[in-house]
Amino acid sequence: MGASAEMPDWSGQWENVGATPDATGGFNQSLDEVLKTMQWGPPNKPEVQARVDKMVASERKRLAAINRGEDPGGAVRACTFGFPLVMLDSPLMFEALPTPKETTLIFSSREIRHVYTDGRPHTPKDDLWATPWGDSIGHWEGQTLVIDTIAVKSPFASSESEGVAVMAFGDVEGAQTITILSPQAHFIERFRMIDKDHLEDQMTVIDPTNFTAPWHLSRTYQRVAHIHRMVYEDCEGEERNPIVNGHFTLAPPPSSATSQPATAPNSAPSAPSPAPQ
Amino acid sequence: MSRALSYTLIAIAAMLMATSAFAHHSFAMFDQSKSVSLQGTVKDFRWTNPHVFIQLLVKAEGGSEEEWSIEMTSPEHLARVGWRPGTLKPGDQVTLIIHPMRDETKGGQYVSGTGPGGPLIGSPTPSGEGK
Repeated sequence: MGASAEMPDWSGQWENVGATPDATGGFNQSLDEVLKTMQWGPPNKPEVQARVDKMVASERKRLAAINRGEDPGGAVRACTFGFPLVMLDSPLMFEALPTPKETTLIFSSREIRHVYTDGRPHTPKDDLWATPWGDSIGHWEGQTLVIDTIAVKSPFASSESEGVAVMAFGDVEGAQTITILSPQAHFIERFRMIDKDHLEDQMTVIDPTNFTAPWHLSRTYQRVAHIHRMVYEDCEGEERNPIVNGHFTLAPPPSSATSQPATAPNSAPSAPSPAPQ
Repeated sequence: MSRALSYTLIAIAAMLMATSAFAHHSFAMFDQSKSVSLQGTVKDFRWTNPHVFIQLLVKAEGGSEEEWSIEMTSPEHLARVGWRPGTLKPGDQVTLIIHPMRDETKGGQYVSGTGPGGPLIGSPTPSGEGK
């Protein structure tokens, strides 16, 4: 089994340009730089812009409270980005695995996009339900994968009709809403390698419910430095930040013994116990 | 200027009223306006999801030892910076710069540090540039 010789080689681990993490938990580009790179001006209809402005004002109020030294509360834990966030302003790394009939994009949040290129149309309406990653089909134009996605819902919304908020990271804390997409949003992406160390996603969002015109975005990805295999984020594990009354807190470590060093494979067996007398 | 935000903080359309914060954790816990230097001995370097922790033993006034919990980002993010489970070991003498907790909890957010081999990965070198 192996990919066709015509398949591009996208092997490796990739990250959003501008979202290289540092040891403090931050990233290497400011929100302003990222927004400029994304071509962030969505053509929102006036009523959508009004909703976005309200959300941004609320987010900035929250950020201002934090900068004053307050913890505004209302914390909820969430570990899923969904589409299109995984492609836009995401701190995740991913692998892109093209095969003739399907390309998968596997993200370090354990989210996966499946793009079927076996000639099928979109899932019929009576068989289709919206998910955070949508229904994606595609075709190849040379070494460019053209992806067509519908049926996207926010991973957080309780109903599809609420639409999907497209966010970008803010300073210190506080995302900034860029736009709100309707459940009818239709995404066309042209995904390709632009040089041996960069991939590119040229995305067009067609949403006549919320937009006055199609929205074109451009996102580039670069190879991850310092690690050359997939490792996953995980919300589970050793929870040290329980939410108490809507605030994240810091809990002490488990009372068990300190972390054990990794056991090397093929360790020598321990010596047999002395035979009983 | 780098964005000092780990993972995501997403306020979504459905939560417009509540202005909720979605994340692994919140930086609101830490006082970003303060930087404190802690010198001590690593008790444990907990390389685990969702966030890595340095458990640091610090000598307090009077000679007693206090254990501080220094919170870092996720193993996935740290691995992309070059950290590994063995970057710090129990017994290592380190000096860490942290943003302390706003309450009295002995804890903080990792900013940078110096270990047995010099500046820790990603920390400013003596010339002032990050590695």
